[in-house]
Amino acid sequence: MSRVRFRTPQSAAASLLIPLLLITIAVLLGANGTPSFQDTVTTILCNLIVVIGLQVFVGNSGVYSFGQLGFATAGAYVAAFLTLPAAIALLQTPGLPHFIADAHLGALPSTLIAAAISGLLAIVIGLPLMRTSTLAIPISTFAFLIVIYNVVANWDRVTGGNSGLISIPATTGVESAGLWAGAAVVLALAYKWSASGYRLQATREDEVAARSIGIGVMRERLLAFGISGVLCGVGGALAVHQSGVLSPVTFYFGATVTTMTMLVVGGARSVFGAVIGALAIAAVNELLRGVENGASLFGAVSIGEAPGLAAIGLGLILLATMIAMPNGLSGGREAGELPWLQRLGLSAPAPPAAGAVAESRPVGERPTDGALRAEGISLAFAGLRVLKQVDLTLAPAEALGLIGPNGAGKTTLVNVLSGFQSPDSGTVSLDGVDVTGRSPNRLAHDGLGRTFQAALPFPDLSGLESVAVGAMGMGVSRRRAVAVAADVLGRLDLLEQATLPAGTLPPGRRRLLGIARALAIGPRYLLLDEPAAGLNEAECEELVAILRNVLSDFGCGILLIEHDMNIVMPLCSRVQVLDDGETIRIGTPQEVQADPAVVESYLGSSFLAAVDA
Amino acid sequence: MTALGQNLIDALALGSLYALIALGITLVYTVMGMMNFAHGEFIMLAAYALFVFADLPFGAAVGCALLAGIAIALLAERVAFRPVRNADLSAQLVTSLAVAAILQNVVTVAVDARAQSVETPAAISESTSIGAIMVPNLEFVTLGLTAIVLAGLGWLLYRTRTGLAMRAAAENFEMARLLGVRANRVIAIAFAISGALAAVVGVLIVLQSGQVSPTMGLTPVLVGFVAVVIGGFGRMFGAVIGGLLLGALSSLLGVYLPDGLAPFRDAIVFTFPVLILIFRPHGLLGGEIGRARV
Repeated sequence: MSRVRFRTPQSAAASLLIPLLLITIAVLLGANGTPSFQDTVTTILCNLIVVIGLQVFVGNSGVYSFGQLGFATAGAYVAAFLTLPAAIALLQTPGLPHFIADAHLGALPSTLIAAAISGLLAIVIGLPLMRTSTLAIPISTFAFLIVIYNVVANWDRVTGGNSGLISIPATTGVESAGLWAGAAVVLALAYKWSASGYRLQATREDEVAARSIGIGVMRERLLAFGISGVLCGVGGALAVHQSGVLSPVTFYFGATVTTMTMLVVGGARSVFGAVIGALAIAAVNELLRGVENGASLFGAVSIGEAPGLAAIGLGLILLATMIAMPNGLSGGREAGELPWLQRLGLSAPAPPAAGAVAESRPVGERPTDGALRAEGISLAFAGLRVLKQVDLTLAPAEALGLIGPNGAGKTTLVNVLSGFQSPDSGTVSLDGVDVTGRSPNRLAHDGLGRTFQAALPFPDLSGLESVAVGAMGMGVSRRRAVAVAADVLGRLDLLEQATLPAGTLPPGRRRLLGIARALAIGPRYLLLDEPAAGLNEAECEELVAILRNVLSDFGCGILLIEHDMNIVMPLCSRVQVLDDGETIRIGTPQEVQADPAVVESYLGSSFLAAVDA
Repeated sequence: MTALGQNLIDALALGSLYALIALGITLVYTVMGMMNFAHGEFIMLAAYALFVFADLPFGAAVGCALLAGIAIALLAERVAFRPVRNADLSAQLVTSLAVAAILQNVVTVAVDARAQSVETPAAISESTSIGAIMVPNLEFVTLGLTAIVLAGLGWLLYRTRTGLAMRAAAENFEMARLLGVRANRVIAIAFAISGALAAVVGVLIVLQSGQVSPTMGLTPVLVGFVAVVIGGFGRMFGAVIGGLLLGALSSLLGVYLPDGLAPFRDAIVFTFPVLILIFRPHGLLGGEIGRARV
């Protein structure tokens, strides 16, 4: 039986080796060129490391940071401090503590220390910043960039102020820059393909759905921010050891725009995009600069510096990319996922894994007793009372139907149960433990799964990845998460096409994938918000069969919000009817359907009168 | 006591300037959902109109600056921002960053990277005494213009059909469109007003500093962004409060910081929003960003 996996070994190898090959070519070209060309290539490789650092955070989180160059600044100054000869340090940076000024380290230890300090700084800065919203992060990271700039530009006795530092030992060669760039590619891909990387990508695709499967958005962002800080610090340290000079503007606004352009033009979602973007823009930059300077092509340049015409050109390229090709040159794909490569047969997508049901059971433990219980839930939006003293009990392995006309408060109740909304009063308890007000991701860990009316699987991840991320959200290893996902997909008969991007599947499949994703967290209670909406009749029948299997196989309690009584009837042993925020009836499906009050709430009293007449 | 009064008026004046910047950014944000990085370059280009038309009487040059601000805002909207209107927040932000970089460097190439000095009316740099307090005339102008702009915006938004359409679009853009609000027109108007506000700010900055430079918009736009974040996204009132707070903080720090720390004023000012965000992740007036759906 073939093992289920996200991608074939060939595809993974191609994704890793092609960027490394590009870097190797750049190194070979540089090593055999003139000294000034060699400098140019070295600079480009330093840039590349910073861009990969940017990709780790921006690409995986989908949140832009304008502050990463601040970490390059930090890395560069630390590396400079550690390597300046003591006599020169005394002149330029009299305010430095002696043990740093006297240190005269080699290239490798100073780069490593610079990387560690930049990473640490990123974690410290990220702690408050990652708490804020997707739109506040770009702005507050930009504020951080200004703060760093302001500090290094004015702390004259330590940083040399605006005049900067000179005579820093130039130890970075094209080979060492190439090695570091290769290491950056490996690190970035390893992170992207780790459980943590997948969790972060899930938040990029759909933040709300990611929280519903137990992913702590802030935590995942913070980790990537830290790794990004490390890589940017390395890039900064190497760059300063290439040029031998450093000033506060080296990694400031201009460099921020340049590196951002490289990332966006290449395609932020893939490491491959970061690499080809950095190389392509560097080439264009050199050409533009050549035009500007007349003849002197490939003169030595410092990182990020792109005055005048060249900068206009870069700006236009960035603008055109955003308008015409938002996914960049790579289309957001890794090298091994490129369609033409797959056509060549070099890296087929992972084979359909039909029949490869894994040995593992979903992660959660089977419930013994207890229940999901809501008592006296009330909630008002701007004075409008949406829920009025609603009680609800869902036993393990029970299917409870929740029906009611539009606006009855069904979805709001599910939002309260799953932690997306805090009730004004009332309590929610899970197997006897009061969980009122707990966050959605905490509740997912407590064993509560849910689906959304609108939320579909993460469109840019494959079906297998989308579902596996659910198990990863529970903190299991990547390997085990894949096994869980394969198991769940097998039971729902979804293994076919599971390696295609989820966004390309037909709506019925996607909806089932949404259910599979919630099941992958191993929930003891599963809340399904109108799972049949938009499905055709055949798909509805399939859904009923699948939900039956879920009840018997997974043993979790199911709360089913549904309008279609053809789905509620065969599945649910009890039905609760909400109308205008109040429970008007609880009973068997037959009892509820026969209740005049229920019929009235759905169809209106005039209809009843007409029927009676 | 006099010193305190003096400092407070200075603080209020700088806060007003910042509030005008934040308002221009918020206005576009509310109708289009885009944080416009290029707002700083709108300010810069309007300021350059004063430099280019330095031979005209100052009043006429100010008129040119206003027109320049409005024109560049409309142009940027049509060429760059309309195509990405439906892209996500981050993509729009990066697009506006590209526009900012282009405008900044066009001016660098066309004029010069270095700052250029601009003659300003002498009366502006004089002061008027109120009791024991000497108030620079520029601060009167700043406060007066801010008051006029706020009143004008209030009238426009709450007393005219156009304002109603803009508020509806800010509330729910799709719904407003379905009800017959013309999206292109509303957004264009928002950009035009934003450009005019940028021009007012540009003129005030030139009056204060007496010079223009290609990068002069960078600090203002950041100040505006931070003020918007502090105030809570998409709220006019929040933008004004955020701007006033930030300006007052910056101004008072300039006076009361000990000498050793004085160079780090900007660093302290820009750390302040982070402190606010630690305790109020969605800003002082708590916008709805990040919890829109469900």
